[in-house]
This record gives sequence, C-alpha cells and structure tokens, in this order.
Amino acid sequence: MSVFSQPLARKFRQLIPAAVVSLAFIAGTAIAKDDIPRLKGKPDFSGFWQTTSAANYDLEPHSNRVDAPPGPGIVEGQFIPYLPQALEQKKKNFEDRAKADPATKGWTLGTPRGIYYPAPFQILQRPQDVTILFQFGHSVRTIHTNGTDHPEESLDTWLGDSRGHWEGDTLVVDVKNFNDKTWLDSAGNFHSDAFHVVERWKFLDKNTIEYKATLEDPQVFSRPFDISVILHRHREKNFQLIEDYRFTLDYDQYYPPKPDNK
Amino acid sequence: MNQLKFNFKPAAIVMIGALSLLSLHGFAEDKKTEPAPPPTNSGINQESTFPQIASGKWTGPFLPDGQPDVQGFWSNTIANHNNFTDPQGGIPGSGRAPKTPREQRAPSRVSDPASGEVPFQPWALEKVKEFQAHFHDPVEQQWVEPLARCAPGGVPKSFYWHGYEIRQYPGYVFFYFNSGTRLIHLNKKNHLPDNIKLWNGDSYGHWEGNTLVVDVKNHNGKALFGRTGEFISENGHIQERFIFSPDRKRFNYVAVFTDPTVYTKPFTVTIPARRWTENDEPNGWHFEVGQAKHKGKNVILEGEERICAENNAAFGMGAQ
Repeated sequence: MSVFSQPLARKFRQLIPAAVVSLAFIAGTAIAKDDIPRLKGKPDFSGFWQTTSAANYDLEPHSNRVDAPPGPGIVEGQFIPYLPQALEQKKKNFEDRAKADPATKGWTLGTPRGIYYPAPFQILQRPQDVTILFQFGHSVRTIHTNGTDHPEESLDTWLGDSRGHWEGDTLVVDVKNFNDKTWLDSAGNFHSDAFHVVERWKFLDKNTIEYKATLEDPQVFSRPFDISVILHRHREKNFQLIEDYRFTLDYDQYYPPKPDNK
Repeated sequence: MNQLKFNFKPAAIVMIGALSLLSLHGFAEDKKTEPAPPPTNSGINQESTFPQIASGKWTGPFLPDGQPDVQGFWSNTIANHNNFTDPQGGIPGSGRAPKTPREQRAPSRVSDPASGEVPFQPWALEKVKEFQAHFHDPVEQQWVEPLARCAPGGVPKSFYWHGYEIRQYPGYVFFYFNSGTRLIHLNKKNHLPDNIKLWNGDSYGHWEGNTLVVDVKNHNGKALFGRTGEFISENGHIQERFIFSPDRKRFNYVAVFTDPTVYTKPFTVTIPARRWTENDEPNGWHFEVGQAKHKGKNVILEGEERICAENNAAFGMGAQ
C-alpha cells in the first residue's frame, strides 16, 4: 500500500490551500514587520513599556521566597560570573536586602534595573534623543542619539551616561559613568562604578520590544555577561504614568499645613 | 555626584560674585577695549523689572506636529525661592537686610491683587508666619522646606529653582526641572481621579497661538512655594498661561491660583523666564549645561542628570 493512501492523498490536496494561506500569512507577517512605528525612518519606541518578567527579584534562576515570586532568570548561562570577593558581597547584600536594597528606599533604580522593574516607564523620542521617564521615582534618563560621545570628564551618575546609535532597526546604547549606589535586582546583585552596559533595543512587533544588555564590570564580574527581557506596550485605555516620588513618603505626613483642629 | 546645589551656600554665592566683580574690575582696567561680559551671567538675580508679553499669534518656528517650537534651556530671571512675594528681598529672619529699597527690587510674584500678597485665610496665614519664624530653626518637621529633603519643587516653585529644559513631543510638553519633572498632556481633557494627589499635580493643556494654556489639579499641596512657606492645598486649582515672545527669547508664566480651603479669593502669579543658549556663558545656577563631545563643529548643548540624593537635610539642620 502506498504511503499516500487514497484518503491521505485527498487530505494532502485539501491541505494545499491551507498551506498557501499560511505562506501568505507568513509573507504578510514579513510585511507587517515594517508596521512598526517610525520617526524619520528609525524605529519609534514612544509609548508605555513594562516587562512581565520576574527579573527584578533576581536576575538568576530562583525559587519563591517571602519577598519574591520564583523566576527562571534572564542571564545567558543562568548565573552571574562573580569574582570570588564580589560573590561574598552579593551574599551579604542578599541577607541585608530588606534594608539595603536601594529600591526599598525609593532611590533611583539605575540601568538596567529600571527597564525590568515591575512598573511602567514612558519613552518620549526625538531624532536627537530617546527620553525614558520612569514611573518609579519619576526619574529621567536621556539616551543621546545625535552622534555625540561620552563626556571626557567621568561624572558618576545614577542612570549612566547613555550614547546610542542605530544598527539597522536596533538601537545600540553604550552606557557608562555610573556610581556604585544602584543594584541590579532585589537579590543583592550589584556593580561598582566601573560598570559598563551595552544595550540593544529592538522591536519584535509594534507592541513588543526585545531588550538585551551586556553587563561588564572588571571589579565585580570575571567576564562580561548578557541578559535579555521582553517589554510589552501598555495599551489600556487612557493609560498614563502616575508620578511616584516614593522617596518622599517618609516625610509626606508633615505637609501641607492644616487647620489646627483638623 | 551632587546633582542639586542645595549646599550652594549664600556666603559662597556672595564670595563668587565678589570675586568675579573684582576680576572684572581688574580686567576692565587692564584692557579697556575688551567688551564687558553681558550682565546676564552674573548671578541669580538677572533683572528687577521685566516686560509684559501679549498673548497672540505665534510667528516663530513650528514643530512637525504643529506646536510652536519652544524647546531648549530656560530659567527665571529675577530670583530663587528664598522669598515668594519679595523675590529679591532675601529670606525673612536671616538677619541680613536687603541692600536695596523695596521699589528697586523685583515685584512680588503675586501680580494680582495689587498688594502683592497671597490672600490667605487667617488660619493659613498663621501657618505661613509660623513657618517663616522657624525656617532657620526647624525644630518641627513641618518647618523643613521640603525641597531641602530632595522633594520635587512642584508648582510653581520649579520655575524659580535653577534652570530647566523644555522638550516637546507629539501630545506632550516635557519640563525637565532641577528637582522633579512635569509632563503636560496635550491630548487629554480630564484630570486623574480626585483621590490621586501628586507633587507636581496632573496637567493637561493646549496651545493658543504663542500661549501654552494648562490646567492643573490633583496637587498634594506639599511642595510649598519657597523658603517663605506659602502653599496651596489638595483642593487647589491652577490655571497656567505660558506666554512666549515671538523672538523665542522669553516667556512669562502667568497663572491663576484658586483654593477655597486656603485662600479668600483667586490670585495671579507672574514669573518671567528667559532662554539660555550656546551664546551664553555657563551660569552655575541658571545654566548648568555643557557642550556635548562630538566630531562636528556645531555646538550641541546638554544638561546633566538631575537626581537629588545628597544634602538630604533641613536648612539649618535643626530637625531630627
């Protein structure tokens, strides 16, 4: 008996139209790739973005714990290649995290943590720069895309000095001049002021960004390593950021003045 | 890095000012043919009077989305937040009398009523006087000026706390202040739900010719207007007009403040501002902007990251 028995051959013929439709769909998807928003020919990332990843709780694979959901991690190769002494510091950070995590104090999250922290950020884009407004702390990061370079003088900053350029439809950003006050997550993963990040931002479709970053720090890591998260566009009706200056909550209660009997 | 110049001590300002005057003096004697630097670079107080700007047609350049292009670096021209109603009169209770008579100093930021005073209800005026009496000795928490704790400047103080940058996008005008950030929404017509209270309030607006008209609600009332303690409450409503001059060199901020729980009637605040460009010398207070490093010959200005993390203590260091 032929492998293509009569009924099967008939079914195969029936599949042909479906295959044609599928091919057309694939072709359509390829065309839809150009459906991404653009500004002067370059991808326009303007909008509200947030990850669904548990990266903020620990970049590495982790079980659940009282202050975090579990997660598979976002480090290529799973674990961060710490230098021995730095690994000891990381373990200490983890033990002290309830008080030592800068995010619990409402401090600026830094780069890349601000990108995968579980709160939205807004991108506002011009040809010469990409501005990231984070809801957490309402802090502002500027990625210069105007062909300028890092300043000669190495000023320590919370979010790093960001210089971007386009490689096709990918925004590649070189970030340095960091201070050592931010963490990479709430599990105590950290960096020094020798930290250097190279980010790659790319649309997977008009509502999804693939964010990749190479993290390098010769004082803390034995070699550079890569992380990757997916960012989703907020499309809720009337969505907007609500400023979250949470570092002010400690003294919030003292203002404004109220009548004495209230 | 010290992002905010909270430790910009008045004595140091005076010293720097005196030194620059001395050096200018020596310079002028040695090389009389050299033109003197413009007076606009000589400190915080740039002028004591300022022109009115009429609302009308915008004759300057437009952005692709149709907004007047007012992007760039700006700062108020008269004074910092030492004193809201006598901007060049110093902090009350500082023990340092102003060097000039009142009529030679910039007018009150309250442009209406003519008295120049905020029409506070009696209880609120008492609170303001209390704040002023304790500003230099803030032994209770509510007498610490919140900006000294890194709080956002809020409305209207952000407009006279260092220079700031305006960036524009389709649907938005973005104010990048020294302490805090404000996003004016141009595509919405409703405020956030009333129970949401914010340091900078919730702002939406539209352009009328050369004037950006903005409606602000949802204040948390906590920012105070300066070291003189004036305030608005959570029930306040601010209607702002940013009136830009056709040459793009100046704008006047003219805003009506209404709050039935704090004021007896609405009043108007006017704050003059000027643009700073690559033709200006850096100014450590108004124009903390550098030139970007790049291969081209044109000047590209860029500001520093603005994140307050240091000097997180009260003026006078009295409160614990």
